[in-house]
Amino acid sequence: MLRAPTSSRPKSIDDLLKPEFVAKLSRVDLASRKVFAGKLKGERRSKRRGESVEFADHRPYVVGDDLRFIDWNIYGRLDKLFLKMFLEEEDLSLHIVIDASASSDCGEPSKFRFMQETAAALGYIGLINYNRVSLTAIGGVGQVRTVPTRRDKEADSTKESDFESTARRAVAHGKTGETPVPPVNDNSGVVSTLRNLRGRRRVHEMGSWLCDLEPSGGTDFAEAAKRIALSRTGKGVMVVLSDFFFKEGYEQGLRYLLGRGYDVFAIQVLSPQEVTPEIGGDLRLKDIEDADLAEVTISKPLLDQYKKNLAAYCDQLRQFCARRDVIHLLAQSDMEIETLVLDVLRRRGLLR
Amino acid sequence: MTWLTPLIAGIAAAVLIPLLVLLYFLKLRRREVEVSTTLLWKKSIQDLQANAPFQKLRRNILLLLQLLVLFAGLLAIAQPEIAAAMSEKTRHIIMIDRSASMSSVDAGDDGAEARLDVAKREALAFVEALREPGVFGLGERDEAMVISFDSSAEVLQPWTSDKARLRAAIQSIQPTDAPTLMDEAVRLSGAYAQPSLVEDVGLVSQATAPIHLWSDGRVQDARDVLLPSVTPMTFHGIGNADSINVGITALRAERDFDDPGKVSVFVGLSSTARVAQRAEVELAIDGLVAAIRPAPMSAASDEAPGAGGVVFNLDRSEGGLVRVRLTGTDALAADDVAYLALSPAKRLAVAIVSEGDLFVETALEGMALSRLVHFSPAQFERAAQSGDLAAFDVMVLVGWAPSDQLPPGRYLIFGAAPPITGIESEGERTGPFIAIDWSREHPMFRFASLDNLIISQDVGLEPREDLRVLARSDAGPIVVEATDRGVRAIVVSFEPAESNWPFDPGFVIALASAVRTLGESEGAVTSESVTPGDAVSTRVPPSVREVALREPGGATNTLLPSPDGTVTFGPVQRSGIYQLSWRGEAGATDAVVDGRVLRVIAANLLDAAETTIGAAPTLELASRRVEATTSSNDASERRRLWPWLLLAALAIVMLEWFVYNKRVQV
Repeated sequence: MLRAPTSSRPKSIDDLLKPEFVAKLSRVDLASRKVFAGKLKGERRSKRRGESVEFADHRPYVVGDDLRFIDWNIYGRLDKLFLKMFLEEEDLSLHIVIDASASSDCGEPSKFRFMQETAAALGYIGLINYNRVSLTAIGGVGQVRTVPTRRDKEADSTKESDFESTARRAVAHGKTGETPVPPVNDNSGVVSTLRNLRGRRRVHEMGSWLCDLEPSGGTDFAEAAKRIALSRTGKGVMVVLSDFFFKEGYEQGLRYLLGRGYDVFAIQVLSPQEVTPEIGGDLRLKDIEDADLAEVTISKPLLDQYKKNLAAYCDQLRQFCARRDVIHLLAQSDMEIETLVLDVLRRRGLLR
Repeated sequence: MTWLTPLIAGIAAAVLIPLLVLLYFLKLRRREVEVSTTLLWKKSIQDLQANAPFQKLRRNILLLLQLLVLFAGLLAIAQPEIAAAMSEKTRHIIMIDRSASMSSVDAGDDGAEARLDVAKREALAFVEALREPGVFGLGERDEAMVISFDSSAEVLQPWTSDKARLRAAIQSIQPTDAPTLMDEAVRLSGAYAQPSLVEDVGLVSQATAPIHLWSDGRVQDARDVLLPSVTPMTFHGIGNADSINVGITALRAERDFDDPGKVSVFVGLSSTARVAQRAEVELAIDGLVAAIRPAPMSAASDEAPGAGGVVFNLDRSEGGLVRVRLTGTDALAADDVAYLALSPAKRLAVAIVSEGDLFVETALEGMALSRLVHFSPAQFERAAQSGDLAAFDVMVLVGWAPSDQLPPGRYLIFGAAPPITGIESEGERTGPFIAIDWSREHPMFRFASLDNLIISQDVGLEPREDLRVLARSDAGPIVVEATDRGVRAIVVSFEPAESNWPFDPGFVIALASAVRTLGESEGAVTSESVTPGDAVSTRVPPSVREVALREPGGATNTLLPSPDGTVTFGPVQRSGIYQLSWRGEAGATDAVVDGRVLRVIAANLLDAAETTIGAAPTLELASRRVEATTSSNDASERRRLWPWLLLAALAIVMLEWFVYNKRVQV
């Protein structure tokens, strides 16, 4: 329930992913229930017909077609020109949205750490399978960023980096490409974005981006989702890691993301302390994001009511997701990350 | 209701109640805890408040409870008192009959319990029903005392409200074989109870403690019991009115005067059976059955129990212990056996002390005595000094009596007022007087009449009330029987020579009877016999220093004789044989076994009134008539409510805790 001590922050990707876990991750790949058109050639079946070795269909030759794909055997038999069509294998876009608001940084074990690890695992899987991986951190609303330590360091460093953490750097870069940097507004709810990573060598990049995230501020989920949706041209799998405790509601945000045709996975991460609060007495509860106060005297009926409300809230989210073909997963932060990634996500179709 | 300290309570209330309420107005100091979101908490609080009924009440129920507790405490500080006579105690006298008839086994639901056990059980139930003093000394409480009585009464427990002591006292009551005399118990209870008459403005009679009597109603002296009219009595009748019992009511042995080797044992029987029947009587001497005789019994009527008797004639010159037993069983076992210590055949030794009396000496010379010695008063004094008098069974004093003290012994005294407590002389009176009344039951006058007696002069006896007057003239008592410190005496107020008695044949008979009665009373034919309830007093030779007493139950005691050789013990409780033994000099009638002198004293019930065990439904007292209540437990058990109240208080406190807990704790 309380803010997690910062000392437990991960320093690098190695803190987030244990080597033995990484070994297991190498055997899985991302899957999408939808087949999307990719941007680059990859290892994934695309909607487009293309040049892979897998045969897809025949079609009559029209002028301008590449003669290399004419099926000469059929021409010999039927005396008509048919074009052999092959399946195009392309990459899959994986977009991980991680909730870096202050509320994520609660619980024991920390929800944010859990999200970081999940994101790292999924990103790793995406990268080693030559998928395009993008990461977006949302949060920081109404919060003057007082802990931009890493960002300042980045600004000082001469090393060319693919990721952008501040609007300042985005403006400085000012170009799109492999690592397009969207303009980041303090009120947009998007803290930082890392775009279009591809390949195993970007793993450490992703790792340091994840490790440098400092949860703060509140979340304007709807605004952030709108911005993500607008700035995103490609389609693919989107994983939203959050506790989905948004005072203004999660519905609008999820609708924005869905509207862009993403295959959305909503992974709701709750801390054990949120599920079964272990507090007592006369308390003044302070919302870590907006400093909202709630005076409570903890009692059995109140706790029962709280649990009832929590269950109802999660159920509402699940139903909302189910109606919109969004996969909803509820994970407690004390859950084994391996179990979540290798068992649950596999069963739910995100990985194969 | 009065308040002892309303001011203090008022001040306390003025301070404490606002303080308590103030505490509730104080805002709770809350600990601040950061949570990830207050979203669900706020919603939960709203839900809870919306759902809870009686929200205001719920909010204040703790205050309400605490106010209640505080209010009770404040009331207590004010010390309310109810000015009723509530704290006055009610007293009860528990009187339990432990006489022989209470040993009858005919009580209880199945008729197989001893009456005394049932009486004790009911009395215990009564004690249980008494009210105990309240926790704070308020409230009514009962006090009770326990009196147990047979022929004498004993306070086993004076006034107390301690039920444990009352119970212990009742439990300690043991049955005795003594007859039932209630007068003493009633007097004793009167002494303990508050005065029934108070001299206030005129005499005011106050209700005294009620008497609760557990008895079978067989009270021999009921007609003499004067129960104050203000004393309520509840008579709990115990036992069955139709119980059949056959008992030995008389046992006497007599040696033939001329042939002391012949013994006749007379056994008188009494029966409560409504039909004539035969009883079998077994006679055993020294434990060996000598004879069994059937004894016809007449049928009992409402007025009198059936009677019967049997006579055993034995040839036995030596002494022995005679046991007479009724074969067969009945409700009361105590009266089925009687004992008699038969002394060896022996003639009396008589000393006559006179300054020359023709008539008495002549008459005595005609009796079959073992020894007749004539003393002058001076010789008598010397013999008394030397202790030689112990050799004589009876001393007959004619016209003279020692002035200071009579040595222990049995005396027949003519024409003198002996120094016996209770006998005074008003000086010589000159007649003529005539005898107007005499006790025909007394052995002395059983066969002798005083019809023609004319007395010319006597010493004018003035006996105390409790001495037995055997004969009375128109001027006052003329024959008195007295007992005083080892002295048993029949005092005749005149010398035979001063009357025409010597010329009456009755004189010789009366004289002989008197001498024999006096002589027999200690050991002539039978040794001493007592009735249970009486004390035993017997004389052993003065040289004996220590006497062992063996009771019927087998218990032994050591008794120390007084300097003149008197050994006293009792009152004896059970019938049976009380055996005294000592080393040393033997008395005239004592047996010597293995170097120890044995003297046997038989305690026999021999009481027709006790043998008639049918429970009486009413108690006819001198002053009124008391009906027996049914012996069911009419006293309802008293349940104390304060433990329940205490439990309720505890429950309220727990409820308060629960309410608090439900609100605060996880």
